[in-house]
Amino acid sequence: MIFIALAAETHAPGFFEQFGVDWPHFLAQLITFLIVLWVLKKFAYRPLLDLLKEREDRIAEALQKAEQIEKDRAKAEETRKKILADAQAEAQRIIDEARQVAQREGDKQLQEAVAQAEQLVAKAREATELDRERMMTELKREIGRLVVETTAKVTGKILTPQDQQRLAEETARELAA
Amino acid sequence: MATEHSIPTFAEPLFNLGPLPVTNSMVVTWAVALGLVAVVRIGTRRLQLVPSGLQNFLEFVVESVYGMLESIIGPQFVRRTFPFLATLFIFILACNWTGLIPGFGTIGWGETGEHGFRVLKPLLRPTNADLNMTLAMALTFTVLWVFWYYQAHGAAGALKHLFAPKGGMRGFILVVLVPVFIFVGLLELISVFFVRPLGLTVRLYGNIFAGDNILEAMNHILPFPLDVLTLLPFYFLELLVGVVQALVFMLLCASFTTAAIMHEEEGH
Repeated sequence: MIFIALAAETHAPGFFEQFGVDWPHFLAQLITFLIVLWVLKKFAYRPLLDLLKEREDRIAEALQKAEQIEKDRAKAEETRKKILADAQAEAQRIIDEARQVAQREGDKQLQEAVAQAEQLVAKAREATELDRERMMTELKREIGRLVVETTAKVTGKILTPQDQQRLAEETARELAA
Repeated sequence: MATEHSIPTFAEPLFNLGPLPVTNSMVVTWAVALGLVAVVRIGTRRLQLVPSGLQNFLEFVVESVYGMLESIIGPQFVRRTFPFLATLFIFILACNWTGLIPGFGTIGWGETGEHGFRVLKPLLRPTNADLNMTLAMALTFTVLWVFWYYQAHGAAGALKHLFAPKGGMRGFILVVLVPVFIFVGLLELISVFFVRPLGLTVRLYGNIFAGDNILEAMNHILPFPLDVLTLLPFYFLELLVGVVQALVFMLLCASFTTAAIMHEEEGH
C-alpha cells in the first residue's frame, strides 16, 4: 500500500519521526484496536443486534396477534348479533303464525257456531211453521165443524152431506181470506 | 519560554515490555480497551428480552449508531460495515473522553524549575494524541474499503468503475476523453490510498493533540484557584470535540464506503 510504503520509507527528516510513528508502536495500537473491534463485534454487536431483531419480531408478532384477536372478537360479536336477530325473527315468525292459526281457528269456530245457530233458527222456524200450519188445519176443521154444528142448531135441520161440504168449503175460503 | 508548557508531538516511552518500548498513550489505549471489554462483557452477560441497566444503555448505543449508519449506507450493506464503523465511533469516543480525565498530562515524571514543578514526561497521554493510533485506524479503514469495494464490484468491475469512461459517450469524444478518465481514476487512487487516510489520521490527531495542549496552556495561565475559570470552558469544548471528532471519523468512513459501493446498485 502506497501509504504504508511512504510511512516506512520516508526519509525526509521527520514527518513521521516527528510524531513518533514507528512500526512497533503502530502495530501495538493497530492490534489493540483490532482486539477491541473483535470483542465488540462478538460480545456486543452480534448478540445485541440479534436481540433487537428478536424483540422487533416479537413485538410485530404480538401486534399481529392483537389485531387477529380484535378481528376474531369483532367477528364473534357480529355472529352473536346475527344469532340474536335470527332468534328474534324466528320468535316473531312463530308468534305471527300462532296468531294467524288462532285467528283462523277462531273464525272457523265462529262460522260453525253461526252456521249452527242459523241452522237452529231455521229448524225452529220450520217447526213453528209446521205447527202453525197444523194448528191452522185443525182450526179450520174445528171451525168448519162448529159452523156446521151451529148452522144445524140454528136452522134446526139436519144438513145434508152436500150442505156440510159446501159450508166447510165456504168457511175455509173465508178463513183463508 | 513558550515551548516550556507545551506537550510533545509524540507519545513518550515510559518503559520497555520485552523489545517493545511502551509509551504513555499505549498505556491509555490498553486501559480504554480493557474498560470497553469489561463494560461489554458485564452488560451482555445475561441478555434479557426486556432490558435494564447497562444492557439498556448498550442497546441504545448500538441501535442509535446502527440507525445512523443504515440511513447513510443503506439497509443492504450496513450489516457488513457496521461492526467496524461502530467500533471506530465507540473506541474513539471512549479514548477522547478518557483523555479528559484530570491527571492526563499533569501526572508524570518531571523536574522542579524556577516556576515550580513541571511535568516533562506525563504518565498518561490521550490515545488519539498519538499518530500511531489514528494512523492504525485510518489504514484499517483503507484495507477494509478495498475489500468492500472488491466485494461490491469484483476485480474487473472495480477497474471499470475507476477508469472506464462514464455517461455512455461514443466516437471521437470518447477517444479524447479516455485519457481524462484514466487520469481521474489515478487521482481517485491517490485520494483513496493517500489523501483520505492522511486526512483521517491527521484530523483526529490534530484535534485531540491541540485540545490537550489548550487544556495544558489554560491550566497555567492563572495561579491555582483561578485557573478553573480559564480551564472550564475549554474543558466543555473538549468534551464536545471528543464526540464530534468520533462522529466525523465514523461518518467520513461511512460516506467513503457508500460512494464506493453505491454504483453497484445504480448500475443494476
